Amino acid sequence: MDYLGQDRREGLGRRAHSRFTLVLLILVSVLLLLSSLYSAQASVFKKAREGVMDAASPVLSLIAGPVAYVNGVMGSVGDYFNVMEQNKALREENAELRQWMNEALELRETVATYEALQNYAAPPEAQPISAFVIGEANDAFARSMIVNAGRANNVEVGQAVVNDAGLVGRIVEAGGNASRVLLLTDIQSRIPVYIEGADVEGILVGNTRSNPVISFTASADDVEAEPDQRVLTSGAGGALPRGLPVGTVKGETRGGITVDLYANYARTRMVRVINYAFPAIDHVTADGATAETDETSEAAQEDGRQTPAEG
Amino acid sequence: MGYRAETLFRLFKAAAPTLLGVLGVLVLAAPIRLFEGVAPTPILPLVIVFFWSVYGPDYLPPLSVFMIGLLQDLLTGGPLGLWPAVYLVTQYIVMSQRAYFLGREQKVVWLGFALASAGAGLILWLVMSLMSGVLLPVRHLLLQFAATVLIYPLFGIAFGELHRRVLVEA
Repeated sequence: MDYLGQDRREGLGRRAHSRFTLVLLILVSVLLLLSSLYSAQASVFKKAREGVMDAASPVLSLIAGPVAYVNGVMGSVGDYFNVMEQNKALREENAELRQWMNEALELRETVATYEALQNYAAPPEAQPISAFVIGEANDAFARSMIVNAGRANNVEVGQAVVNDAGLVGRIVEAGGNASRVLLLTDIQSRIPVYIEGADVEGILVGNTRSNPVISFTASADDVEAEPDQRVLTSGAGGALPRGLPVGTVKGETRGGITVDLYANYARTRMVRVINYAFPAIDHVTADGATAETDETSEAAQEDGRQTPAEG
Repeated sequence: MGYRAETLFRLFKAAAPTLLGVLGVLVLAAPIRLFEGVAPTPILPLVIVFFWSVYGPDYLPPLSVFMIGLLQDLLTGGPLGLWPAVYLVTQYIVMSQRAYFLGREQKVVWLGFALASAGAGLILWLVMSLMSGVLLPVRHLLLQFAATVLIYPLFGIAFGELHRRVLVEA
């Protein structure tokens, strides 16, 4: 490295040695930081983010291809070493799933019978939009992904994103042909959920760790949840459909209940954005039962920002 | 080499560190999940900012550093101004210690990079903790900066060759 350090006045900034520009730009950064603290949703910033995301999405798609290939090769090398155990585990899981399948088929028949009996009006079906993960915030404190579907594919801010295992996150920015998914582990993520069988609703709060925490309102009774109980979206607030699988109860901490997510972010390559429209109140067609549920969901929509606590 | 080609080459040489920084940001935004996401992606732009702040500040002016940081903020969805601040403060500190680093052994420079990274990580953690109102867990941050410090010698040699053989000499 003998030559390194010899000063040659060549490059972009011939007078870069003046500290003035440097200090000025540090000040500009701090001002930007302060202003984005108070107006994170300002349209200028939003437009800039969406524009850059749109512009970068072809490049990111280009990089994502070889990256996925290399990851696949490295992943399969790892798989060779534990193929036996995996096989055994899969066989056991398969047997278990077959039992569930039979039960589900039986239930489907029962539900169909009831629906026929009660003149049941089915809620609108969600329209899934398939997308690939082309980018990821590889940042210590930001947990988000970029997917290659945008407004052109009817993706809108607030929609739920799922993979084959469960809820991944929700859309926070929608560009023309790419959108950002805020993961459940991000510090800003708040998802209304409930614990199956425990009759309580709460908010799943991300904290940058791999296990987000369900927090309940102060007025809620002591929540008793056992490990491995399922956690599902509650649909409160009307943004997400009810009943999307999120994860299982892991344990209790001081702040609430920690959750083991179903979605494995390190393996998430393909996702579906759920284009879900909240059922509107329709007094003409709704009979007594559906009108009632509509009212309760409307109430939930109104106080969606707060924690709806039941029981 | 014709006049036109020469001009283009000069332009490329002048802009190479900036382009590398942009590429580093794109790599950071790509879904690289080394070993099933266990190994964090190293922060390459930090290496680039550090290296050229020591060996050729003219090649990476503060405006380039600012733009690299801003691009990273926009692509990772963080608060705008965070990474520009981190990179520019790093550049400021490194440039104030430049005289010490020049002509030193790479081991010493590596140690300097480790210290600069620690400073950058501390700023990042402080700002993000302030903005989210809680003291954030540092585990992932430590891992990512450790990975960045670990890969420094490799990229230090590569950038050194590039700087010496292409940018300065050719």
